[in-house]
Amino acid sequence: MNSSHVGWVLVTMTAVTFVLRALPFVAAQWLQKHPFVKRLGGFLPLGIMSLLVLHSGVGAALEHPQGPWPELAAVVVTAALQWRLKNPLLSILCGTTLYVVWRNGSF
Amino acid sequence: MNNSADHRFSLMSLTMPVAMGYIPLGIVFGFLFVQAGGVWWLAVASSILVFAGAAQYMMIPMLVAGLSVGTIALATLVVNLRHVFYGLSLLDRFPTRGALRWYMVFALTDETYSVLTTLPANTPLRTMGALTALNQGWWVLGSTIGALIGSQAQVPLQGLDFVLVSLFVVLATEQWRNRSTVLPVWTALLSYALAYWVSPKHALVLSIALSVVVALLWRKPTREDAV
Repeated sequence: MNSSHVGWVLVTMTAVTFVLRALPFVAAQWLQKHPFVKRLGGFLPLGIMSLLVLHSGVGAALEHPQGPWPELAAVVVTAALQWRLKNPLLSILCGTTLYVVWRNGSF
Repeated sequence: MNNSADHRFSLMSLTMPVAMGYIPLGIVFGFLFVQAGGVWWLAVASSILVFAGAAQYMMIPMLVAGLSVGTIALATLVVNLRHVFYGLSLLDRFPTRGALRWYMVFALTDETYSVLTTLPANTPLRTMGALTALNQGWWVLGSTIGALIGSQAQVPLQGLDFVLVSLFVVLATEQWRNRSTVLPVWTALLSYALAYWVSPKHALVLSIALSVVVALLWRKPTREDAV
């Protein structure tokens, strides 16, 4: 990694993230006036998160020849734990541990 | 004095669950960043400046691949878009002006958002600000520890970066819990399949564009015809 490239990336990511977080505070009236914003708000967060799960899961599955099984199992375990127990750390650690153990061939 | 002890106690009980998540996840972030070839203090800087867990995890493989600033900015926009819809429910609760207002806006992560929205309406701004800062403190602390461990030892474990997929799964599960319709998930599956068939390389961007089109065309069902 080239540190000056990383530096520019960090500055840009900071700006993008801040603008997104600040938008409702500076443009609340505009956002609340337009019904399409509400429609997007009811649709996009779940849609985009589903796409990010799909895309990153497919990306992981293509890196090894074992088929998509470790990814599917780890995603199901993570989602089920989060649904039942609402403990993000526990869900992430169990899902990731299952995945790492499977990928490193310990069983 | 009693009052201030109460205040400290409630602050600690509110921030502890976040600390239990942020410290270990911060450690994994710092560790992965340094193992991928990053300088340790840049991991710490990203936790101070960017302060967005999923986006920070996502940037590691993108930095390794040497992707352009513009590409990484677009990916950050996609991963963090949900934040636009968070602030609206906190508009009346935040300070109206000043540095504290903008710090709290800057540091409004998923976890801080979910803790702040559960606080009673008369919660002092001082408490909300301190809570926000403590939460960021845990994330920076974890990243620092992880980055320092990562610069000491090489651990050849495959698949540790799956933590990003798990993080997305957790965020998707929480969005699912608050869903008004299941249509976004079906749209995501179909549009990703279609986009992947057209171009595997651009599958994410294409499928997001398709989802936005469907979202704009979608009419929220009324109570009568809701399933």
